[in-house]
Amino acid sequence: MAKPQVTIEIFDPPMCCPTGLCGPTIDPALLDVHEAILRLEREQNGATRVVRYLLAQQPAKFMEYPEVLERLKRLGVNALPITTVNKRVVKDRAYPTYEELAAWMNRGAGQ
Amino acid sequence: MPTEYLFFSGKGGVGKTTMACATAVQQADAGRRTLIVTTDPASNLADVFEQPIGHQVTPIAGVPNLWAMEIDPDKATEEYRERILGPFRLLMPEDVLKVLEEQFRSPCTTEMASFDRFVDFLDREDFDLVIFDTAPTGHTIRLLELPVDWSQHIEESAKGSGQTCLGPVQAIQESKAKYDRAIALLTNPGHTRFIFVLQPEQTAIFETERSATELRRIGVESQELIVNGILPAEVCDQPFFRKRYEMQQRHLTEIRKRFSLPVKEMYLRDREVKGVASLREVAQDLRGTSRASSVLSASVAGIATTELPHAMNPATLTGLLVPRNGVSKSIFFAGKGGVGKTSVSCITAVHLAQQGLKTLLLTTDPAAHIGQVLDVPVGDQPAPVAGVPCLWAARIDAKRATEEYKARILADARARYSEEMLLAMREELESPCTEEMAAFDKFTEYADSDGYDVIVFDTAPTGHTLRLLELPFDYSQQVELMVTTTEESGALRAETRARLNRIIARLRDPDRTVFAFVVYPESTPVVEAHRASLDLAAAGIPTQLVVANQVIPTEQATNAFFRNRRAMQLKYLDEIERRFGFPVLVLPLLDREIRGLPVVEQAASLLFTEPALDDGGVVAAMA
Repeated sequence: MAKPQVTIEIFDPPMCCPTGLCGPTIDPALLDVHEAILRLEREQNGATRVVRYLLAQQPAKFMEYPEVLERLKRLGVNALPITTVNKRVVKDRAYPTYEELAAWMNRGAGQ
Repeated sequence: MPTEYLFFSGKGGVGKTTMACATAVQQADAGRRTLIVTTDPASNLADVFEQPIGHQVTPIAGVPNLWAMEIDPDKATEEYRERILGPFRLLMPEDVLKVLEEQFRSPCTTEMASFDRFVDFLDREDFDLVIFDTAPTGHTIRLLELPVDWSQHIEESAKGSGQTCLGPVQAIQESKAKYDRAIALLTNPGHTRFIFVLQPEQTAIFETERSATELRRIGVESQELIVNGILPAEVCDQPFFRKRYEMQQRHLTEIRKRFSLPVKEMYLRDREVKGVASLREVAQDLRGTSRASSVLSASVAGIATTELPHAMNPATLTGLLVPRNGVSKSIFFAGKGGVGKTSVSCITAVHLAQQGLKTLLLTTDPAAHIGQVLDVPVGDQPAPVAGVPCLWAARIDAKRATEEYKARILADARARYSEEMLLAMREELESPCTEEMAAFDKFTEYADSDGYDVIVFDTAPTGHTLRLLELPFDYSQQVELMVTTTEESGALRAETRARLNRIIARLRDPDRTVFAFVVYPESTPVVEAHRASLDLAAAGIPTQLVVANQVIPTEQATNAFFRNRRAMQLKYLDEIERRFGFPVLVLPLLDREIRGLPVVEQAASLLFTEPALDDGGVVAAMA
């Protein structure tokens, strides 16, 4: 299957680790999104990549895409989490569901 | 010649810094380019060398070939943070920067930053010898374990989600190589030796054994012991100290029997070691040439005072410890292992139970000395203590709490997530942060319970733990909007927040919570305790009590040696009062170890009913 590679990126809100297991509150929303990503990757057999970035560890990434930076400047950390597909913002202020991820994947671009 | 590394480990107040400095001076005198580095936040290198040192490599006056540096954990964290944040200062919106800075205050980052700084020194090639006057035992071991933990964690994560507590694997591969190199150096006996400094006492033996085993587990085989603070036979010329002398000798015999390591014996001095000249004397003793210097210096240092500083008013003390208006009280005893924290906790608990208060005594100490002090078995669940009506005791097992915590989280997840997800979670839970969270979780379970009039905690949560608790809590307010995407997560967050709120409010309420430090009246322990109390204060928790343990009773200070030592103790009792701003509770030195109910009761009467001791009872009201 020679589908064009789709890159989905998620800019996480501040936390210790992506599953949110390190803090005193374990948020099911974090676990759900992690599960959705795992399922997508399993089903797409590696044709897609979902990359997550943490503010504390890769702040540079948050500056890289004008659309992401613009939202951060306008809304502050409340804009997070932000999801991009091939560098375009497709969702902010909430994590994507499995269905959303799959749809973006199949369309090949996030319009 | 490759650089040699020497690690000095031991609890605050055992003379670790003195031994490290004496060794450094001696090696430098022998012509080796020597650097001594402390990673101890309560460092007193500057005191010992009588010159300012600080967070940079500094030449030591009067000793060619010797340099020193005090790693400041706060500064190290700041440097680490600026390295990452610096480039973004101009671009990042204000509130994003604020959140980022907050994140860098998490204990994980602080630990990483200190470790990073520490590993930098393992890469130095411009010295023949680098001596680390390390932080007290538990911390050090953790620091040394980190390379193994992190690199395992990194390797495992690389196979899975590609994420760790430290950030994505790609971003820290470089660090992994650095950590691996650190491990290789640490475990190479040709490069690295590890020296434990301990005093001849039971707790120290247990703790040293535990540390030695842990170090061997991560492959550090080259270990030696220095037993410091041994009473010279010739000054123990009366029954009180004779008894303590014999007690120490029994422990010494046990140390020689238990450890198949080289053991060096160092004698107690009648005064503090300060300045290069006195370090050279100690170095002579360390090399075993003579021990004359330690004993013969025992001329009276010209102090006649036998007055204790202001003792605590008994009524104030009762008001502090006894609950009022039906509100239960938590009493936390903090302090380094071996200063008598467990003894003081037991004494206090027994004393309060005997007043008819329903009391629970809790420890998080893995060695569970409570059982030994009270002479009863103490288990995981609160059980009545035989011989003391109204007293219950229990032990929180951190390892077990961690396992329970992991199991509970995974069990909850099993119902709704895939095997793959569970695997990823399990891997994430292997992170070193989990243990801290788990222990605190257990801890709050008891602190939150209202079944007792008084709960006495042997070992308090650190300022760090409390900050960990507060931090996510602070920013949860900012983040709330976005993460509560579902009703379920909103409800859960509200519930957790309410629980944490309740606990934080309780810990900050001086009527319901008393934080107390147990110290020896000596330089390092006092500095350490004060520093910890500042951490607590930053978390909004006032320190209300300091117990000074092992104060030499005036009637036992019958010769110059012990009069000098007592004078030194009085100086630090003053220092405690000056730093903390309230009177000190004094537990005098006994001629035996505090073990078994009769001795505990005797100690309780000394601690609580005669707080003014034998020195005229200067009574002062609480500040």
